[in-house]
Amino acid sequence: MQEGLLRFATVAMGTRFELVLAGPDGQERMRPVGEAAIEEIQLWHRRLNRFAPDSLISRINRTASLRPVPLDARTFELIAAALAVHGKSGGVFDITVSPLMATFGLPGSGSARGGTERPNGDASDWCSGADAVLLDAQDRSIRFLRPDIALDLGGIAKGHAIDCAAALLREHGVSSAFLHGGTSSVLGMGSAPGLAGWRVAIGGDGDCGGGGDVPVMELRDNALAVARVAGRRLEGPDGEECGHVMDPRTGEPVRTRLLAAVVAPSARLADAWATALLVLGERPAAMPEDWTAVVLPDKRGTAAAEMVPEHGTRNGSHGSA
Amino acid sequence: MAQAAGALAGMAIIPDVALAERASSLLRGGQVYKVGVIGVGRQGRTIVDTLQTLDGIEVAAVCDVIPARVPTGLDPLTNIEGFTDHRELLERRTDLDAVFVATPTHLHRQVAIDALDAGRHVYCEAPLASTLEDCQALVAAAAAAGPGRVFQVGFQGRSNPIYKQARTLVRSDSVRDVIGYYAQDNRKTTWRFPGPDPSLERAANWRLDPAVSIGLAGELGSHQFDVLSWLRGRIPSQIRGTGAIRLHHDGRELPDTVQLELTWPDGLALQYHATLASSFGGRYEVVRGSTASIRLAWSNGWLFKETDAATQGWEVYAARQQFQDGEGIVLNADATKLEDQQRLMEGEGLPYASLHYSIVDFLLSFVLGEPNACPADEAMRSTLLGMLGDQAVRTGETVDVPAL
Repeated sequence: MQEGLLRFATVAMGTRFELVLAGPDGQERMRPVGEAAIEEIQLWHRRLNRFAPDSLISRINRTASLRPVPLDARTFELIAAALAVHGKSGGVFDITVSPLMATFGLPGSGSARGGTERPNGDASDWCSGADAVLLDAQDRSIRFLRPDIALDLGGIAKGHAIDCAAALLREHGVSSAFLHGGTSSVLGMGSAPGLAGWRVAIGGDGDCGGGGDVPVMELRDNALAVARVAGRRLEGPDGEECGHVMDPRTGEPVRTRLLAAVVAPSARLADAWATALLVLGERPAAMPEDWTAVVLPDKRGTAAAEMVPEHGTRNGSHGSA
Repeated sequence: MAQAAGALAGMAIIPDVALAERASSLLRGGQVYKVGVIGVGRQGRTIVDTLQTLDGIEVAAVCDVIPARVPTGLDPLTNIEGFTDHRELLERRTDLDAVFVATPTHLHRQVAIDALDAGRHVYCEAPLASTLEDCQALVAAAAAAGPGRVFQVGFQGRSNPIYKQARTLVRSDSVRDVIGYYAQDNRKTTWRFPGPDPSLERAANWRLDPAVSIGLAGELGSHQFDVLSWLRGRIPSQIRGTGAIRLHHDGRELPDTVQLELTWPDGLALQYHATLASSFGGRYEVVRGSTASIRLAWSNGWLFKETDAATQGWEVYAARQQFQDGEGIVLNADATKLEDQQRLMEGEGLPYASLHYSIVDFLLSFVLGEPNACPADEAMRSTLLGMLGDQAVRTGETVDVPAL
């Protein structure tokens, strides 16, 4: 049986996505299937891009407080899933935080009606909009009960795009594939050739699997997400450095040097719950018991997670819940 | 429909980008125009998505020969009715004002002519058709439909606000004495699409089928040949070129890399390069002049001036971007509403894809009587350039372009 490796990559959602087809699925004739999966990621990028005025999410944010906006089945279901995690996590995962982010000067996160929030770091009148987002299953639409709501699906979009790409691969008969978005949202379908799964090291120094205390997860038809307070650095009101992850309970940025990783059945669930885990700092009570949840000091490596080479790690330890 | 057109005729003509924005909320007053889309593969679906962002326009029907792509009957949630036979769509849905044709190129002729015969306005994807005879039949059918009917072809560059500004510059003293043109469309992709099942694999891959495809020059080149011919105002008269398979040795016959030279009678030349084997540089066109040059990259455009060129008024307020080959003055499509066009002014590019502007132009044509952005006869000439470019590659011979 001829074994091959097909790699695909694309830039979307402000980051780089990679897809690897391996083993029998890695043959040249599968290339169009990989390209179609990449195109699926681009489709979700276009749909959920807050910075494009004609994206679906921009239209929702402009219009939903005026009248219901009809949605396609998959977007409806994505928003429903995000709101479900919001509920189960005690409000810690919240897709309506972008107006809050504006008060801390993050670009492109103004309120739905285009108001110019001047960043002042004062979140004292912040109130989550999640309860004011109404999904109507009868006509598959969304509307907002308040005018100051804007949805930001950034905390779940990468995972969702990866799940959709994986579903497309499965439809075309692929059984082994590895996908990730920005190294922080990772899905392993089937297994790497010759192994029981796809091995991923979390939060190392960039020296894949070299650190003794770097947990290595083995993914097989499940997904890993790593949330960290990194990337966009802001200054909080007291001059202290803080990141872009907001705690929806307090309206304050999360100030932590931790990295939170979750292994869940789907990439989007892993994405959403990893954010919740990061904000809480400990395993959320409502997280299913068989999921893995790990909180680590953030070494600020360039990659949140890295695939461990097929020939195995030098030092590896399995993370435990 | 005629009454609404009359009511809207009072709308003032305003700068292009602003007009497009306004068209996005066209007819908030109540009138809704219903349209159908025939052919909902990738391009057709993109057309549907674009139409659904426009107020006052309702996608009421879609058609595709692949049943999985369309609803069975009427979908109660979207109110879209699905068909697998375009004639049935045209017969049953007499409430449609216009129809978009996005089938494979070699199937445009029959579908578009049927739509014209059924009394609809038609937006036909580009290239227009895959043979000269088919193009001529479409031109004749469009003419026979009369002046009140709109038949627009989807060569999007003509509707692009940045490209319109470039055309003005080329025709004025800003870009005087053009010395040459260049265009490229570089991608790294197989151009193969996995079929929903093996039996549909060949139909899904019509672009690679030598029996029907007009190759890279036809499918990709024609769009850029249209842009440059439209900027110049004249069609090249001779084409020669070569091609080969450089990367995709997967049993295909069509070259995945081509290079062409199209020349005008006065010796001016357009150098063209298209490939599926490398994405370096992407897709763009260049007009080289003695006083200034222009680079157009669909969502962005820049003017590069010679050191000894005079400064025009609008340049003073324009943003600049540094490139390896010089300082580009951002083409801002004469944006006057600065607040709305911040993206454009800062060089981030147009707020909408070219397809959006092209579709808006079509809607404004049949609703408001605005001029047709791309009539059939002009589209035929650009499509012919693409077809002959493909022929030049296949035969290795220099091809003369007939005057049409």
